[in-house]
Amino acid sequence: MSGRLAALLDWLDDRTGFRVINHHLLDEPLPPGTGWWFTLGSVLLFGMGVQIVTGIALALYYAPTPDHAWDSVRFITTVIPAGQFLRGLHHWGASVVVVAAVLHLSRVVFFGSYRKPREANWVVGFILLHIILAFGLTGYLLPWDQRAYWATVVAINISKLTPFLGETVASLLRGGPDIGALTLTRWYAIHVLVLPPVLVGLIAVHLYLMRRQGISGPIRARAGTPRPFFPYQAGRDLVVAIAVGALLAALAWKGAPALEAPADPTSSDYVPRPEWYFLGLFQLLKYFPGRLEVIGALILPGVVMTILALLPWIDRGSSREWRSRRGLLAVFTAGLAGVATLTLLGAMDRPRNASTGWNIRELAGAVLMTADNRCTRCHTADGIAAPIEAGHIARPADWLAAHVADPEMIAPGLRAAPDTNQRDTAAIVAALARMRADAPPAVDAATGHLDVLVNRSCLGCHVIDGVGGKEGPELSTVGRKYDAASIERRIINPVNVKPDAQMPAFGGKLAPDDIRATAAWLASRK
Amino acid sequence: MTSHRDDRRSALARLVAAGIGLITAGLAGLVGVVAAPRSSGPSKRWRRALSVFDLGTKGPTTAVLAERHADGWYETRRESVVFIDREGDGYRALSAICQHLGCRVHWDDTKQQFRCPCHGGVYDREGRVVAGPPPRGLERLAVRVNPQTSDIEVEL
Repeated sequence: MSGRLAALLDWLDDRTGFRVINHHLLDEPLPPGTGWWFTLGSVLLFGMGVQIVTGIALALYYAPTPDHAWDSVRFITTVIPAGQFLRGLHHWGASVVVVAAVLHLSRVVFFGSYRKPREANWVVGFILLHIILAFGLTGYLLPWDQRAYWATVVAINISKLTPFLGETVASLLRGGPDIGALTLTRWYAIHVLVLPPVLVGLIAVHLYLMRRQGISGPIRARAGTPRPFFPYQAGRDLVVAIAVGALLAALAWKGAPALEAPADPTSSDYVPRPEWYFLGLFQLLKYFPGRLEVIGALILPGVVMTILALLPWIDRGSSREWRSRRGLLAVFTAGLAGVATLTLLGAMDRPRNASTGWNIRELAGAVLMTADNRCTRCHTADGIAAPIEAGHIARPADWLAAHVADPEMIAPGLRAAPDTNQRDTAAIVAALARMRADAPPAVDAATGHLDVLVNRSCLGCHVIDGVGGKEGPELSTVGRKYDAASIERRIINPVNVKPDAQMPAFGGKLAPDDIRATAAWLASRK
Repeated sequence: MTSHRDDRRSALARLVAAGIGLITAGLAGLVGVVAAPRSSGPSKRWRRALSVFDLGTKGPTTAVLAERHADGWYETRRESVVFIDREGDGYRALSAICQHLGCRVHWDDTKQQFRCPCHGGVYDREGRVVAGPPPRGLERLAVRVNPQTSDIEVEL
């Protein structure tokens, strides 16, 4: 060390006394035999450090409002350099923290480290575990995609099962009558303003108590001289932290799971799933249907957690040997296995979010959007509005409908309202809704023309592939019943075929070629 | 013997300190990359100001150029104001941004001057400083006429 640096440090020590603090913090004598199992707490600390650093970096760009949360997360992952990696670190880091917490807790149980005089520190650790889970729960909502939104709907609905106070608890979590802007800001505030100081404070207490009582060390005390924490145990901590960090970086390299479509409270077919560390609870609910649900949702987990919290008072023996604690360890192991099994079952019970082809209305909408530069006059790369891209549609359906019918609703003078009708507008809105998730398939001009025609002329009264009016019979499989010629006659004038038909004649309204093509297409539907 | 152990201890201490330093540096580097401010928007390009037929005769004509403006994840419309005027056989385009502190100047028809509302900067019709604190005249923008559309375009 150069003389000047040493002099500077001497001066700093004289004014602050930092060497005494350093000595106190780092040179704690550890009992001989303190080994690799005792690195788990430090790994947990490392994981939480990564979460804090990456969380602050994410907060530079994140906007907690329903209009912008999704866009801002997308911006982080697509525009910010290393943004995808950053979000991956924060996402997988949460899992690392949960796993490390459970391993750390298990180590404490198997080593009997919760025994007198460490009961208080056990309880602090128990509370910290729940703080960690609260981080996971509140953080899950923030990307505001379908997964985030619907997992939160489920979580809040579970809270309604709380005896007597259900609605109160749920409304406290929601922040308003519905899950929306107020929920998002509330959970964001809890995630970044409430939980972190509580976490840091409790960690400080946890470490203080650990130092006050000294670490428990190996189950059977060994002979030898105690060695200081730094650098011996710190070296082990570092090795494990580097290994975990490398694993985390590898997971994050692939990034966080892709953002799903923006949260859509009106979608009815989304199957919500929580993050994996809540899957066990999620699975447990399935075994308690109806009025019994409260047992799976609150009572059973509550009982398990209460027993866990009271562990130092349930097991009060003096020996930390496994022999004298067989029953307790068997129950704990069975409990761990139970949670693992439920998590696994929950992971395997994965209902696919059905991915179906585009229906005729959505197809027609996709065609209409590009026809006559209807949308692309403004929505182009260097136009006055952003290009319309799959996965980047965030506006609600009613706004889209109004804008499609009258583009000038945004700003007067943009362009005159194009010729439109309700069915074309409905088709474009349907296509845009579909584009929240995936891009439209390519269709040739003739098929596109037919899609638009069928949407305009048939879907008003007939259902095809689940969309359309209910006045007439469904046409999804009409080809099984009639051939093209027969269908063509019906379209031209239904009364010719069926005297009491209510359907209007299209003979004079549509071009003969269009009628023939439509009939052929319908006849092909079997 | 003791000194041998002390040597080992201090070597290990340095190794561990270096390891912790590396992890810290890695995270700091990541935050540095992520936190670096976004660069400014697209470079200049030719944009339509107005049609030559819309050009006034008495003074400079105000043209508002609106464009989509990406503000991070937020998208907005940004409007730039330019003054188009005849100059000899061609045209002159002046930016409306006051060169003092960036306020927007306006054309005073009676005094035939550009006036800044903020600190009293005054420019003449050619954009030269007449009075007040501006250190230099209004910015002149490159201007051209698109022969196909008869639109006056400015580079902005």
